[in-house]
Amino acid sequence: MHRLDATRQLIASIGDEPVVASLGHPAYDLYAAGDRPSNFYTWGSMGLASSIGLGLAMAQPDRRVFVLDGDGSLLMNLGSLATIGWVRPPNLVVIVWDNEEYGTTGGQQTATAHGADLEAAARAMGAARTATVRGEQAFCDAIATARLEPGPWVIVAKVSESAPAVKPPLDCVFIKQRFMAAIGQPEDATRGGRT
Amino acid sequence: MTVAPVWAAGVCAGLHAAGSRHVVYVPDNPLSHVLRILREDFPDVRTTLATREEEAFGIAAGLYLGGAKPTVMLQSSGLGNSLNALTSLLVPYKIPVLIVISMRGDAGEWNDAQVPMGRAVRPICDAIGIPHMTLDAGDAAERTIRLVAQTAFATRTPGACLLPRRITVPAPRAVEGRSPSDQ
Repeated sequence: MHRLDATRQLIASIGDEPVVASLGHPAYDLYAAGDRPSNFYTWGSMGLASSIGLGLAMAQPDRRVFVLDGDGSLLMNLGSLATIGWVRPPNLVVIVWDNEEYGTTGGQQTATAHGADLEAAARAMGAARTATVRGEQAFCDAIATARLEPGPWVIVAKVSESAPAVKPPLDCVFIKQRFMAAIGQPEDATRGGRT
Repeated sequence: MTVAPVWAAGVCAGLHAAGSRHVVYVPDNPLSHVLRILREDFPDVRTTLATREEEAFGIAAGLYLGGAKPTVMLQSSGLGNSLNALTSLLVPYKIPVLIVISMRGDAGEWNDAQVPMGRAVRPICDAIGIPHMTLDAGDAAERTIRLVAQTAFATRTPGACLLPRRITVPAPRAVEGRSPSDQ
């Protein structure tokens, strides 16, 4: 399963629900799969995509929040799994693209190529629902279930790396304001913030 | 029964008056007073413990994107853990957060290992573009916190209020032969 193909499958099945993408290739593939206002592309803060998703899920309990993380990124912030397991937001779906390498930085192997099991880690830290999927059908089935049944979900999707050809918008404030407007929390452009 | 310190009650009232209903934190001893008062007197404020300060800022960023006005509380030692989140997420995306920093390494410190970061907190904030105010008296806490928060959310820039030890830590009684307690 290629990450871009899986990202396309995801976007096709979740309507306009918000998606937070980890920096680099997960964000590039999200853009390539379909730019949408409710995509939040990070350009830095490696490791924090699941934390951003957690905060968003807490603030927006009536939306299903999707996170596209990477194995290398999640390994940088494993404590996030413990916090997600504690807070247990039922509307959070963390998808970990596990290609067993740092794809954005030249393909260096991650610890998941040597036995680290991120699904087991998520389960051990208290995530309500977890899965490891290989292949598009298994991935689509997992997403269909995660859309309907309470989480928090951590879905480790084993994917192959493919070099993205396009990049999302670079203007961070544009990304933020478009995203917040799309989920019904627009920043007031004239009054200097919501008061 | 523990008497609520004036500064801690002011921190709670100030962040609440500024509209913050989420506090994400990594604890330290002085902040435990704030957490207790929030729990007892501000039931509409949700507190969330993060495993690390950088994670706390990530959660706070998500809360803001979802329409909340988040507060992050940490000890100054944790500012070092937070820098990548601040410089590559909150500052460039203009995501405001009220930052409450319990100071170590300033006047009254007993632990050498806390001094270098304590000395560096203000230069670091200046270097990465985070405005900061230092609380100058316990009874000014409500107003100072409220102003820092209102400025942060109005200008969409994270803003920090520094709580010095001379205010948050009661003067230790001099007892010969006893080591100072952990903070």
